[in-house]
Amino acid sequence: MSIDFEFRKLVMDFHQGSDLIKYCYQCSRCADNCPVTKVSADFYGTTGYNPRNNILNALLGYKDLIFTEDELIIWGCTVCDTCDEVCPQDIELTEIFTFLKNQSIEQGKGPEFIYSQAKAIFDSAKAIPSQPAIERRREQMGLPAIVIPDVNELQTLLKNIGAAKKLK
Amino acid sequence: MTEFKMFEGCTIGNRIPFIEAASRKVFEKVGIETSQAAFSCCPDPTGMKSFDNNAWLTIGAMNLCLAEAEGKDIISLCNGCTNTLRGVQHQLKHDSLKKEKVNKELAKIGKEFKGTIDVKHFVDVLQEHLDKVKGSITKPLNGLKVACHPGCHYMRPAEWMESDDPMRPETLKKLVAASGATVVDYDELVLCCGSAVTNAYEEHGLANLKNKLDSIKNAGADIICVNCPACFQQFDTRQRDLSKKYEKEYDIPVLYITELYALAMGYSADEIGLKFHRTRLKSILEKYGL
Repeated sequence: MSIDFEFRKLVMDFHQGSDLIKYCYQCSRCADNCPVTKVSADFYGTTGYNPRNNILNALLGYKDLIFTEDELIIWGCTVCDTCDEVCPQDIELTEIFTFLKNQSIEQGKGPEFIYSQAKAIFDSAKAIPSQPAIERRREQMGLPAIVIPDVNELQTLLKNIGAAKKLK
Repeated sequence: MTEFKMFEGCTIGNRIPFIEAASRKVFEKVGIETSQAAFSCCPDPTGMKSFDNNAWLTIGAMNLCLAEAEGKDIISLCNGCTNTLRGVQHQLKHDSLKKEKVNKELAKIGKEFKGTIDVKHFVDVLQEHLDKVKGSITKPLNGLKVACHPGCHYMRPAEWMESDDPMRPETLKKLVAASGATVVDYDELVLCCGSAVTNAYEEHGLANLKNKLDSIKNAGADIICVNCPACFQQFDTRQRDLSKKYEKEYDIPVLYITELYALAMGYSADEIGLKFHRTRLKSILEKYGL
């Protein structure tokens, strides 16, 4: 186990330009209220998903403890933002977890559905592409056709910011 | 009358359009005017944001630009879309470095984010029109017991969602009560539906869903009322899986608040496509003569 100072810096930089994360005193209100911790982890967070552990390891730069074989450590987060609300130090935990997920994707890891959604958005500008059966149903229900977005513009943006090359 | 740009979102627009149909009917009754725009995916605050935060910010800003070009506020039918569009707007308004970076990219497609419009969740717009809503109810849903589920992204993070309360939300309950139905309280009101985690880890997602639904069942609810398509799908399509896994019956029907209103405003179940729901409504509708 070693401290990765570069990783620490990236975590600090990502947190909306503030360094609130360093005020974490491990009170565990995040884990106490996390719905996924409740169904996956023991009290001390030695198994399953535990937001308190993630904040501690991110703050200390223990990158190896976050990016392990078990992707549940990162991807167990269901993005409910409950931890943000109960944190007495106003740490925006979910923003840190977004950074950890982005890093996981950089390494080519992460759940399949994240990649397939990103691909659908790149290809059609919609997370769920239009289908003829649904178009017909819209018409039958008296709904207007969906206005088609500009896929080229969206692809230009995704290519220029380097997101397109992470697609699988 | 103010006209909004309608942001129906990918799930409602391209998968469960019957919710858009009910919503448009209700908007017409209460005088909420909308028009369309060529919006792309918002993009998803649980999917694309986790994939690449810069992509999330940039595409979100691109969508905001489309509404800015017409000088109109956005009305969103979905918690996720509202969360993304409000979140992107909040972050760009409070972080000039991010704004500069995003605008540098947008300039390449001839756009610029200015931050001149507002993004509203349709529930908050309905709340502003509550008198008009009450005046349009012709078939009060007396006796129907409703468990409300406003959903995480309607109210959190508080700093950019600005709902009535991030942990004790009341707005959806007030809207349901206006239909004549009875709101039943239950312990797990603010518990997440678990949609995002179920996509990656079904075992934990279903265990969470069980916690939610057991609480709703114990409260004796006839139906669950929601205002988010991801929550809708989680409850509507995964109760069958839950019943199988835990060998216990889970079959509480789910109604979007606009579907509930459409029924209370006199539309028939057929007119708003309730037959497309996976968790069947038939016995509840018969019980209350709807």
